[in-house]
Amino acid sequence: MTSIVAPVAGKVVGLAGVPDPVFAEGMVGPGSAIDPVRGPGVAVAPISGVVRKLHPHAYVIVDAEGRGVLVHLGIDTVKLDGEGFQLLVEEGARVAAGAEIVRWDAGSIEEGGRSPICPVIALDADPARVTVTAGDEVHTADPLFTWK
Amino acid sequence: MAERQVKVATDVGLHARPAAVFVQTAAVSENEVGLTKDGRRVNAKSILAVLGLDVRNGEEITIDSDDETVVNRLAGLVTDTGETGAPRNPR
Repeated sequence: MTSIVAPVAGKVVGLAGVPDPVFAEGMVGPGSAIDPVRGPGVAVAPISGVVRKLHPHAYVIVDAEGRGVLVHLGIDTVKLDGEGFQLLVEEGARVAAGAEIVRWDAGSIEEGGRSPICPVIALDADPARVTVTAGDEVHTADPLFTWK
Repeated sequence: MAERQVKVATDVGLHARPAAVFVQTAAVSENEVGLTKDGRRVNAKSILAVLGLDVRNGEEITIDSDDETVVNRLAGLVTDTGETGAPRNPR
């Protein structure tokens, strides 16, 4: 079983709380979503593994079993072209769950007219094997969901 | 075996949302479906593999499968530029 931790602190809104139908309907995969605490912060690795893909606004970590977890920092943030995001690791780096990955500011994303909600997705996972374990609020690196 | 080489016209390439639609479309086929970029071929039914390929706007990709319908459908997805001719924003 893989235990996925919260990449950011905030309110657990679930995928249904993501203002984007593709995420909300679970098309990217099962998981959860966090409405992050506004202000400058650091998004961390949701699992231990290798940073397979690192964009300013999104990253994928793959664990030793080949399971990948996507963290997407805000919605439509691909269009910011990296502005407001500072990468703290390099693609290919081996990281532990909770390791700092991207410095960003959820408040400034919102001020720019975009939702800062962060979907956290178990890629290629069977939805029946993913169980959200977090309560209403999480601190960074608190347990978020499990993947059996 | 059907194979089509296409230039990606969607403005953010195959990033999370368009990649999800691409993978779900591929998954409908009973046949194996491959996606190749720069000589690297991955399983087009895996969102992890497709995101890992990091396909961007303007890049050339090749889609292959014994299922010609799915190849054409996927090619249509990434080359759909809407009615204006401008690259369409996927949602």
